[in-house]
Amino acid sequence: MNKKISRHDYVLAFLFLAVFLFLPVAASAQFHPKNTEWPSYGADLAGTRYRPLDQINASNFSDLEIAWRIKTDNFGDRPEYKLEGTPLMVNGTLYATAGSRRAVIALDPATGELLWIHGEHEGKRGGAAPRQLSGRGLAYWSDGKEERIFYVTPGFRLICLDAKTGIRVRSFGEDGIVDLKLDDDQTVSAWNAKGEWAPDLETGEIGVQSAPVVAKDTVIIGAAFREGMTPRSMRNNKGYVRGFDVRTGKRLWIFHTIPKKGEFGYDTWEKGSAEYTGNTGMWTQSTVDEELGLVYLPVESPTSDFYGGHRPGNNLFGETLVCVDLKTGERKWHFQLVHHALWDMDISSAPILADIMVDGKKIKAVAQPTKQGFLYVLDRVTGKPVWPIPEKQVEVGSAPGEWYSPTQPMPSKPLAYSRNGVSVDDLIDFTPDLRERAKEIASHYHLGPVYTPPTVSKLEGPLGTLTLGTASGGTNWPGGSYDPETHIAYLFACNACVEPIGLVPAPKEVSDMNYVAGTAGQSVEVLHGPGENAGADSPKPKKKPSGGGFQRMDVEGLPLIKPPYGTITAINLDTGEFVWQIAHGETPDVVRNSPILKGMNIPRTGQITYNIGTLITKTLVIAGEGNVTTTADHPRGAMLRAYDKMTGKEVGAIYMPAPQTGSPMTYMVNGKQYIVVAVSGGPYSGEYIAYTLPSAGE
Amino acid sequence: MRNPAIVLVLAVCFAPLCVLRAQAPEAESRSVWDGVYTEDQAKRGEPVYVKECAACHRALLTGGESAPPLTGGAFLANWNGLTLGDLFDRIRKTMPQSNPGHLTRQQDADILAFMLSVNKFPAGKTELYRQSEMLKEIRFESAKPSPKK
Repeated sequence: MNKKISRHDYVLAFLFLAVFLFLPVAASAQFHPKNTEWPSYGADLAGTRYRPLDQINASNFSDLEIAWRIKTDNFGDRPEYKLEGTPLMVNGTLYATAGSRRAVIALDPATGELLWIHGEHEGKRGGAAPRQLSGRGLAYWSDGKEERIFYVTPGFRLICLDAKTGIRVRSFGEDGIVDLKLDDDQTVSAWNAKGEWAPDLETGEIGVQSAPVVAKDTVIIGAAFREGMTPRSMRNNKGYVRGFDVRTGKRLWIFHTIPKKGEFGYDTWEKGSAEYTGNTGMWTQSTVDEELGLVYLPVESPTSDFYGGHRPGNNLFGETLVCVDLKTGERKWHFQLVHHALWDMDISSAPILADIMVDGKKIKAVAQPTKQGFLYVLDRVTGKPVWPIPEKQVEVGSAPGEWYSPTQPMPSKPLAYSRNGVSVDDLIDFTPDLRERAKEIASHYHLGPVYTPPTVSKLEGPLGTLTLGTASGGTNWPGGSYDPETHIAYLFACNACVEPIGLVPAPKEVSDMNYVAGTAGQSVEVLHGPGENAGADSPKPKKKPSGGGFQRMDVEGLPLIKPPYGTITAINLDTGEFVWQIAHGETPDVVRNSPILKGMNIPRTGQITYNIGTLITKTLVIAGEGNVTTTADHPRGAMLRAYDKMTGKEVGAIYMPAPQTGSPMTYMVNGKQYIVVAVSGGPYSGEYIAYTLPSAGE
Repeated sequence: MRNPAIVLVLAVCFAPLCVLRAQAPEAESRSVWDGVYTEDQAKRGEPVYVKECAACHRALLTGGESAPPLTGGAFLANWNGLTLGDLFDRIRKTMPQSNPGHLTRQQDADILAFMLSVNKFPAGKTELYRQSEMLKEIRFESAKPSPKK
């Protein structure tokens, strides 16, 4: 008997087929973003900031126009002027952190229409946060069905949102929240009114401004603190790194960036200093090789930035690149970039994962950009240098009580891509007179190559050590970019962010440290907690000395250091050689308009700024300027520039109303490519601006 | 206003104002190079700056990782072409970051005077205004103008 296949049977068969087809997707719980999307802070978990898109290219970059823009003023109780976020664009929605509340917003990526907004009102805890404002971004996770957004509030809470609605996922943590000040293998504390170090979840100093990283089913969170130049104490909370389950919020692992007693590295903290020393967090982005199941943690400096006399020893894992297991957090290898940190070099940006070919051999590498202008290239499986990084002798200083490492690791290749020491040859040299005057200023300081230690500041000199490639030099939090097709890394660097580092005895009412950063004759101030000593009955400030060793770091308003002030360097990671290096950014007004330099032909100098992120597309390197200029070609504002990525030649530029303060990203939607960049600063409050090409016929 | 007499009376009454307005352009053309604050005010501003601002912007106004410099080429370029009112508003609305708005207008004006002195703008005989609307009459010019002929 022939049985006709009924409609019902068709439906059943279809359902069966559908279940069969989708079963592997559900079972693997994996989400595979398209290369037209921007699913994580650094474009991918390797931190490349690369998307192989080419609709916007050399021929049309200068035709870009604004597709949409969104001011962030109303995403908080006051405007913010330091918008550092990079949005995500995934599955047809754009997500970003925004505003002084660090709200999360979801937008239509083609029109900028606001789809939802989420904000946490944290009260005093938010106001007391060491790292406020909108932060750098967020993370996306999906198992192919459910979509979640993760971010960390200023008050250090990990929030899990339903990506479709912006509502907290109640099954995650407690009502969608994991309190990051808890379950941290330490009791987060603060100095109370009696001067005691006591548990305090509200004002206990710890937070983070970087974006969470989600790899497989783990959310990775670091920690940040206030700036550590003049800390109140040698004691502080520690910046451990933790992994959490994306579904439940359960803590899966913790990595002690300062080892606990009995753990590897504890003995690199002599005299028990691991017990009280704090900071040593991972405040910037980590990267992950999901295939190898390894996470790369860039760890910052311990307490304090410029004086380490209370923490004798090499201080693992301060300023160390640590590789841990994604599932367990167990340390696989580590490479300490700086022994016994004294220069606030941190490790300031995401390690870049790069599969390279060196002398015919394939290497899974990790390349770490740094403030000190070295790109450390290591085998990311073993932690061994790809090119030798020998220990070299460095100057041993004489600050009382300080402990000095006699050697530091120095990469032999690639060469430093930005200045990391100061000699007379680095000083301004537009004219012989300017050079002489710069030499006079520099004569008040101790000069030397990379790792020249800070000196005690004396009125008769030296006032301190004059440094480049330290606190704000080289590559900072935006990090570098990498093209996985050509194996070229692109690194913006501040080449002239000069930092005088002097030490002064810490007044007892300021700090329990022997020395803190300062200049002889100038008053010493500790970083105040928010609102601390701000109330009506708080003590009036005592009269402080002033007018001592004040030295301006400029000559007739011109930068003390000669150009180029800011550069982008392209480095071939197969060879370790530079492909090109250019000055990035219009010559500053102060140089272009200087009457002293009138008539001189000065090539573009680039700009003194440290927070420029680069975006790499199929053919372009795209980066905005970090300074405002006013030129004959444009009103006060800044330019978003595009360079041919193989030659460094500028191929286009468009005007922005304010400098780039968050790294640009790109995506395709409805057949159109967009570039979104965060701008702000000075009088201009935060704004995300999306650029695209005019539609045909427009 | 149909009564010509009233128009005439009003015209007479407001005539002095017209004269004043005619004189106003001179006042409005002031810039930071015209001695818009006093040395005493800058001295008063220094300890307030040290207490409220230096933690992030540093004692020498050179800025840090979390706060931009308040001196030097980038700072000057950032405000060039705007007014002291814009800069004052920025301080009033957002500074200090941990507790915006808790300083008085006088304290903010004193801090601004201190910033102007560090940036080597000349001091004068009158103190800075304490209202942004009035400070908007003072242009922020990074470059010293050529001497008037």
